[in-house]
Amino acid sequence: MLSLSEPALPGECIRAEKAWKIYDTAKGPVEAVAGVSFSVRRGEFVAILGPSGCGKSTLLMMCGGLEAITAGRISVDGAPIACPRTSIGVMFQESTLLPWKSVLDNVMFPIELLHRPRREHMARARELLSLVGLSGFESHKPHQLSGGMRQRAAICRALVYDPDILLMDEPFSALDAITRDEMNDALLDIWTRYTKTALFVTHSIREAVYLADRVLVMNRRPATIVADIAIPIPRPRDPSVGETKLFNELCSTLRGMIEHSHRAARDVTPYA
Amino acid sequence: MAAIRWRAWRPIVLPLLFAGALLLAWQELTGWLAVSPMLLVPPSAIWSVLVQAWPVLLAQSWPTLVNSVVGFLLASGLGIALGGALVVSRRVEQAFWPHVLIFQLIPKVAVAPLFIIWLGMGPTSRLAFAVFLSFFPIAVSAATGFRAADPTALRLCRSLTATTWQTFLRVRVPYAIPHIFAGLKVGVTVAIIGVVIGEFVTAQEGLGYIIMFASSAAQTALVFATIALLCGIGLLLYGAVALGEWFVRRWYGAPISAGGFE
Repeated sequence: MLSLSEPALPGECIRAEKAWKIYDTAKGPVEAVAGVSFSVRRGEFVAILGPSGCGKSTLLMMCGGLEAITAGRISVDGAPIACPRTSIGVMFQESTLLPWKSVLDNVMFPIELLHRPRREHMARARELLSLVGLSGFESHKPHQLSGGMRQRAAICRALVYDPDILLMDEPFSALDAITRDEMNDALLDIWTRYTKTALFVTHSIREAVYLADRVLVMNRRPATIVADIAIPIPRPRDPSVGETKLFNELCSTLRGMIEHSHRAARDVTPYA
Repeated sequence: MAAIRWRAWRPIVLPLLFAGALLLAWQELTGWLAVSPMLLVPPSAIWSVLVQAWPVLLAQSWPTLVNSVVGFLLASGLGIALGGALVVSRRVEQAFWPHVLIFQLIPKVAVAPLFIIWLGMGPTSRLAFAVFLSFFPIAVSAATGFRAADPTALRLCRSLTATTWQTFLRVRVPYAIPHIFAGLKVGVTVAIIGVVIGEFVTAQEGLGYIIMFASSAAQTALVFATIALLCGIGLLLYGAVALGEWFVRRWYGAPISAGGFE
């Protein structure tokens, strides 16, 4: 865990200080995020790992200015975040491609909204599409693509306007295991090339270890970060990394933490 | 090969065969049972009246057709605009939506005489009544459509710092179009009903007036011939809307159904 007295570091990109999200429901207030503090350095790939329903997606959306912060503070590039910014790209669980637009037009959608010069970004869009293996599918419509291909297009869309920070909310959780591994490699490829600061939410331990420089483990009750584990696996990484002793040790360490925090939660609220 | 061809043609041939059989039965039964021509005339008699009275009927079709089209277009503009306003502004929605629903419950035909008091016996009151009648189904389906946008697409727009207007034009409108067409199809038929009711009440011109006149003179065949012509107008206008929908579907190039995108 980070100490709060730590001053803002020069290379610091995202900084959460005792951030809370409390929903008012019919059954009373629900703490979706309970006083979370962490920081992400520029160019770092950080994964937030936790069981479903632990508030990790809410935390990510708060970092992107898409969810209001009830208490505490989240700063991005030194300024408190209150609304979405164009320096932040977001990838959602669903690809959310617009069904009537072609793949290329979907990728160009942010450029259209932000009134950026069309021609130079068109070249960038095509380059991104070829990087994720979608060359030749530019004029296809989303319904003609597989789930993995749609998510590839969504990566391109999130990167086309060149945001500094990429927030990803379980982007591959709806895909089958094989496609998911392919997507992880595609993402790493693209991330090494453009070196974005990345915050990646997942409930898959292996995915977190494979992708990230650091894994933040999030607990359910209270919904807070319980561990900050560095992943010292050298880059570039490829699927053979998954066979190494270090990888598997890190996975079992993390698994232990998640199980431990589960038990702790059960001890506090036996019937929850 | 022949079986495949038959399967392709069946949806066209079967309804035509059925209609033909029905007309034949109608023709034969009226003769066989000696039904009084005051009550029911055979199709052949309707046809001969249609041919005979064609110049008059054609002249009277014109105001009915024009009022229906203009009324439908006005209702479409107003309905889509109100539907959009209901979705864009929370305040407008809260102020208007309950009234839209309550207005739906009014038996609107009962209001027709009021339109004559307000707007006189001329074509204005008939047009206004057609707008009044067809406006609501269009507004309701447009509002439903504008709300049918994929919530994740709306969130994407928010993350891209899109303005309300950008989101409306680029996401809400395309998602709404299948719903709007469903409303337009209802609206266009209702607009014709509105014009005909207006013509019943004002009794000045139009096919509705011919029906009133012919039935009071016990010219049953002429009533039927006029109804047939009204069916033709309905088919024409509905077909125009369906054609518009076909073009939009082609422009989308994505599978859409009445319920939106699949």
